[in-house]
Amino acid sequence: MISSLISHPAFPLAIGSLFIFIFKEKANLISIGSILISLFVLLFITDNIDYVYKSGLASLNYFSYSKLAYLFCLVFLIMGLIGKLFSIYRDSYKEKAMVLIYISSAIFVLFSGDFLTLYIFWEIMAIASTMVIWSSNSDKSLSAGNRYLLMHLLGGLILLLGIIGLYIDTNNLQIRLLNLDTWYNWMILVGFLLNAGAPPFSQWIPDAYPEGSYSSTVFLSAYTTKTSVFILIVTFAGSHILMLIGIYMIMYGIIYALLENDIRRILSYSIVNQVGFMIVGIGIGTELSLNGTAAHAFSHIIYKGLLLMSAGSVIYMINKYKCTDVGGLYKTMPLTAICGIIGALAISAFPLTSGFISKSMIVDASIHEGMQLVWLMLLVGSAGVFLHAGIKFPWFVFFHRDKKIITTDPPIYMKYAMIIASTICIVIGIWPQLLYGLLPYPVDFIPYTGNHVVSQLHLLFFSALAFFISLKYLERTLTLTLDIDWLYRGKIKYIKLLTKYIFSMINKTENIFSFTSLRNKFTTLEDYLLRQTTISAMLILILIIFSVSLIMNIS
Amino acid sequence: MNDRNKIIYTLILLINITPYLYVFYNFKKINFNIDGIIGFYPIFGFLACISLIIIAKILAVVLKKGDTYYD
Repeated sequence: MISSLISHPAFPLAIGSLFIFIFKEKANLISIGSILISLFVLLFITDNIDYVYKSGLASLNYFSYSKLAYLFCLVFLIMGLIGKLFSIYRDSYKEKAMVLIYISSAIFVLFSGDFLTLYIFWEIMAIASTMVIWSSNSDKSLSAGNRYLLMHLLGGLILLLGIIGLYIDTNNLQIRLLNLDTWYNWMILVGFLLNAGAPPFSQWIPDAYPEGSYSSTVFLSAYTTKTSVFILIVTFAGSHILMLIGIYMIMYGIIYALLENDIRRILSYSIVNQVGFMIVGIGIGTELSLNGTAAHAFSHIIYKGLLLMSAGSVIYMINKYKCTDVGGLYKTMPLTAICGIIGALAISAFPLTSGFISKSMIVDASIHEGMQLVWLMLLVGSAGVFLHAGIKFPWFVFFHRDKKIITTDPPIYMKYAMIIASTICIVIGIWPQLLYGLLPYPVDFIPYTGNHVVSQLHLLFFSALAFFISLKYLERTLTLTLDIDWLYRGKIKYIKLLTKYIFSMINKTENIFSFTSLRNKFTTLEDYLLRQTTISAMLILILIIFSVSLIMNIS
Repeated sequence: MNDRNKIIYTLILLINITPYLYVFYNFKKINFNIDGIIGFYPIFGFLACISLIIIAKILAVVLKKGDTYYD
């Protein structure tokens, strides 16, 4: 048991997070050290090994090697290292420890061999990421974190029901390719898709992520949605309904980002958009498209991290979150601007960047399958990405109206982090073989053909033209855009009455069990969770019981 | 030269480069018939972006609210 845990790449991170709570001053050193150890462990992983933990009740296959999991684990650790470098100046040991638990649980999910193990770490990941959001210690992050947690617990429950159904029917929980022919497989799909930000609940990404601190958003953007992409590749590759969902996400991300004013929220909407491309790739389901999805996830994690780091630097230096408050920063923050522009070019798949060599695989896969409509939609998406993330983000932050803000580039380690991420974006773009060698299937794809490059440049040039022609109409205003969360956050009379009724019922039941001290007058769902300590206490208790039972069973 | 002029000159430059890029484009290796048309990608990209902006603007009429709507 112990020896197999030591050779698990997620284990050093879990131990590291415990050490951070003991040695609070050395949080940075411990985080970076444990990620380096994890990378070291990852190098020595050999395939065809399955580690199974057996107890009286169940057997948990917590390590099962696959080439895809290796690729995702590698990029998770690289992004973790860069993000940790970036967050060195963040003065919160709790955030640093929680980030380590978050990364560790995400890696455990990657290497899970059965659905039960996956479910356990799936839930730990949801709780840890909520803690990461809460660590920015503002009222807004508290309520956004609550909504985030609710959404993920709901998704987790649906997933659990699906897993139970699968077990009852087939008595086999091994993670494998599933068909959408039974109700429980649909529930598993819904549970996974909810974490990927699929409709109608795409809204949790731009709601929760921008409320984290300047450094935690970098981590949040990388793990939850991409673990979900990973598991969808493994379980639902080739389900054609995913193409529709992906196309919806692409369009949703673009349109909402065009209306958005908050800098990090624009980038969060573009996470939905980019994950949409990956979901389309999974839906197509050929070897080329799955390779493309994996490659796109790899490059996406790095350039999205880079974009959020440059946004984070702006927030760290001048503490302003909105497009309407910033502008003309390229004069005072030249390095941040250059790195931000490299990230923006990479996300819009400009030739010689990492986005180009990965996205063109997904687009080409749709061509090989003869799906003309999907291909046209992906082209609209590619043009739209340049519109909302490629130009809009750098333009409104670093150029546009000079607001004469006096500031400088961020401190040295934050600069290093951004430089490393931009270098990776460009190196992969120039030498795609570095990435292609790691992909799950053999790659027979040449990104730099005349047709690819010319068509992409044509699309991008004229998207830029469209942007600047309609610049007058894209002028940012101090507004927010309604979304599905209006249903539970808004001021609708009946829903408010309903929640009031439900909570009065809960209060009554609490009375019966004589929890009178906890009784309060709750009016909304958020209010309830904010004051309700029992739920969080219960979660911690479950975690403790689980870990104790693990330790007791070691033999 | 102010920012506005810089943008205009860059855009003129980009638009003028576009036709010459067809030197590298192999019309025998087109995917569907539609991308064999000269000017397909630029026109499609432009129209796609303009229509996305129009859709966003139409949705904004209903969905845009003040900054403190939920507070």
